[in-house]
Amino acid sequence: MRNLRLACGVAAALLASACAATGTTTSPTAAAQQSAAPGYLALADQSLPSGGTLNLQVHIDSGAATGYDPQLADVATTWQLLSLSYETLVTVGPDFSVQPLLAEKWDTPSPTEYVFHLRKGVRFANGREMTADDVVGSLKRLLASKSVWRGQLGPVKSVTADGDGEVKVTLSEPYTPFLTALANVPAAVLPMKEIDDKSVDPATTLLGTGPYVVENHRQDVSWAFKRNDQYWNKGKPAADALNITIAPEEAARIAALQNGSAALATLGNVDSATMLAGAGNVQVGTQATTDFYYLMLNSLKPGSKLADPKVRQAIAIALDNQQIADVALGGQGKPTAITPAGLPGACDPAALPSAAKSVDDAKALLAEAGAQDLSFTLTIFSTEPAPAVAQVIQQNLQQAGITVKIEQMDEASWSGKVYGKAPADFDAALSWFAGYADPGMVTKWWNPETAGFNVGFMKPDKELNTLIDAAGKEPAGPSRDQALTAVCAKADADAQMIPLVTRPATVAFRTDALSPSLYATEGYGNVLRLVADARVKKTQ
Amino acid sequence: MRLLMWWSGRALSSAATLLGVSVLIFAAVRLMPGGFAETVLGPFATAEQKAELAARYGLDQAVFLQYGHWLSAVAGGDFGVSMISRQPVGAELLARLPVTAELTVLAVLASVLAGVPLGVLTAVRARPEGGGAAGRLLSGLGVSVPEFVLGSLVVFVFSRYALGLKVGSWVPLTQDPAANLATMILPAAVLSVFSISVTARTTRDAVMGVLVEPYVTAAVGRGESPWFIVRHHILRNAATPVVTLIGTTTAYLLGGALIVEHVFNLPGVGSYIVQAVGRRDYAVVQAGVLLAAGVFIVMNVLIDLLVGMLDPRLGVMAGRRS
Repeated sequence: MRNLRLACGVAAALLASACAATGTTTSPTAAAQQSAAPGYLALADQSLPSGGTLNLQVHIDSGAATGYDPQLADVATTWQLLSLSYETLVTVGPDFSVQPLLAEKWDTPSPTEYVFHLRKGVRFANGREMTADDVVGSLKRLLASKSVWRGQLGPVKSVTADGDGEVKVTLSEPYTPFLTALANVPAAVLPMKEIDDKSVDPATTLLGTGPYVVENHRQDVSWAFKRNDQYWNKGKPAADALNITIAPEEAARIAALQNGSAALATLGNVDSATMLAGAGNVQVGTQATTDFYYLMLNSLKPGSKLADPKVRQAIAIALDNQQIADVALGGQGKPTAITPAGLPGACDPAALPSAAKSVDDAKALLAEAGAQDLSFTLTIFSTEPAPAVAQVIQQNLQQAGITVKIEQMDEASWSGKVYGKAPADFDAALSWFAGYADPGMVTKWWNPETAGFNVGFMKPDKELNTLIDAAGKEPAGPSRDQALTAVCAKADADAQMIPLVTRPATVAFRTDALSPSLYATEGYGNVLRLVADARVKKTQ
Repeated sequence: MRLLMWWSGRALSSAATLLGVSVLIFAAVRLMPGGFAETVLGPFATAEQKAELAARYGLDQAVFLQYGHWLSAVAGGDFGVSMISRQPVGAELLARLPVTAELTVLAVLASVLAGVPLGVLTAVRARPEGGGAAGRLLSGLGVSVPEFVLGSLVVFVFSRYALGLKVGSWVPLTQDPAANLATMILPAAVLSVFSISVTARTTRDAVMGVLVEPYVTAAVGRGESPWFIVRHHILRNAATPVVTLIGTTTAYLLGGALIVEHVFNLPGVGSYIVQAVGRRDYAVVQAGVLLAAGVFIVMNVLIDLLVGMLDPRLGVMAGRRS
């Protein structure tokens, strides 16, 4: 009994000292957004001194199976890390407008011609000055590669150098997203002289013009970056060094933020903001993204009722995307059409044909198709919030008399089942797209012949493909908005891939350690886009 | 001669065990659902790229050929190349081994330093009519709570109330020993809970068994002090099952490290294997499991030697009794 009392005493003392260690309380999200300028979630305080080491934590490393070659990078997590060392001709601003980066400015003599005036004094991290040949060589290399981004660049006919400071790109037909596509990491300017003479292999070495150079990388453990002393933008980067820890467990990232081991961390669970509420000196913000969840319906599985467009349309009608956003994403996502919500010129999801119909219309369509007792399996990966999204889908479809069985698996098993063979061996599956920074870009993935990954479960729709191509040619403005509306309506009727809701990103940082800049909305999933502006207050 | 025969026998049985493990793990990773190509290369990879990947790592060959190549390479000390990092697996395992070794050593130390005294204490104080319900309850809890539950709880609590300990980060021992210890104490504590409980329980049973031996009664009759009796008569005679258990538990702790390292974000062998399983990085999983099996076998040999030193009747030189 004496031992028990002693144990209780020790426990009580520990709890008391623990409670005394609690920090001050800050309100999440709102505090972050109030202090920032329009379009920004947070804006770095430029009056703070430069220098210091910035410790960050992210949940996943770059997809290194293809090496460090930015042209072969096809996931946002890789773009994010490579963007610290590589730069593109243009970039995107907080409102998704295209802004100069390595190109000081550009002219558009005709809808198919772009002349880029290169910034002077830009050097690669090895000290060599960037030339027009590097730009031309990089773009030609990208166009000749197996990169998925090749398709996003559009119908490029030729790339030529006009003297030392100019590069001309000629398209075979107008393509409005061209500049926006140039603003992402796969279109980065590479050191082509070194690549051509084989002194640098971009698969194993990062050599760009960006603000940081890699000192050390251990796959799935950490990255160590130091400032690029050759960086053209004087005064940047503000922090001398970046240490990025790969921490797959969300709870570990939250702990690192709270104890100060990390100054900034990306979070995936929509409830993490609530978990961090009350944490001293930690500010949490939700960065809206153009990424969105979508439902894949396998129309190629032999004997599947999902091959019938009426059945797929009934499913699209029965889904309540607002409820998915509210319940599964804690109100932080937004319903979307195939043009990501939040992008200028994107379709209004409330104006989609399926949005105007009711559950009774869905039931009628199912009856017409002879599928009143429709039942199928929804295959999902276990990463949150996919299970929550799936549960809301299950409940929505139950209203229309559709029975959904949820099959949850790890990501590798899920990938194998969904993308492993053609025709694919699943009924329905849940995934998400990077939404990019132009409303027409992601629509290309609705053409399986362009996208490739969906040939196993999706039939090409010629009419939809024609509309997607037509929207790509229309110059920005009312005519393009109209063309995109037609694309959205046709994809809505096709319903082989049904867009659901946008996928927000949660970012948390310590206010006593860091003053960062963050866009309020991000198109290429790059939370670290403005990290060169971040000011370190203290390093632990 | 007898020693030579013993060593030869152990070497042969160890080699056979490792061979069996190699077959099992090689087959198991290939039976896992989910294609390595989709996982490693992502959804946008073309059929040509997938074929190229398979050819690069020899995964387009017949399975028995793949096994043969892998086994001969492993025999030569080459554990292959990770499909994810494209780096040699052996080098990465070596780089991560110190983290797992430190974690395991700390957990074993905790097991011995806490488990043995607890076991002795509860045995010495046990009443003839039974009792010690609190002790049994605690050890029962310690044995039954899985590491991922306890680990998650500890991460949650200590992320709020750090008490000078760090969760979610790691500092190399060579860089800053004090900071390293601050990051390793909690994972080691979580990892050791099971083994402390089992060690305490086994020690208690072993000590209680020795307590009724005539030589203990004689020592009491001679008026020897309780501490002297515990130290000279009880501990030594009760040590055999405890030492065997600690050795076995050490190997078990390596398994527990898989979960604990992942939960606490420690860059050890365990988290390497967990990530590799999730990504179907075959070479890493195979090498990791083989390494764990090797450690287990070595630990067993060491236990046999140690037990023989503690009690020559059970040692390798003891020979057979019929």
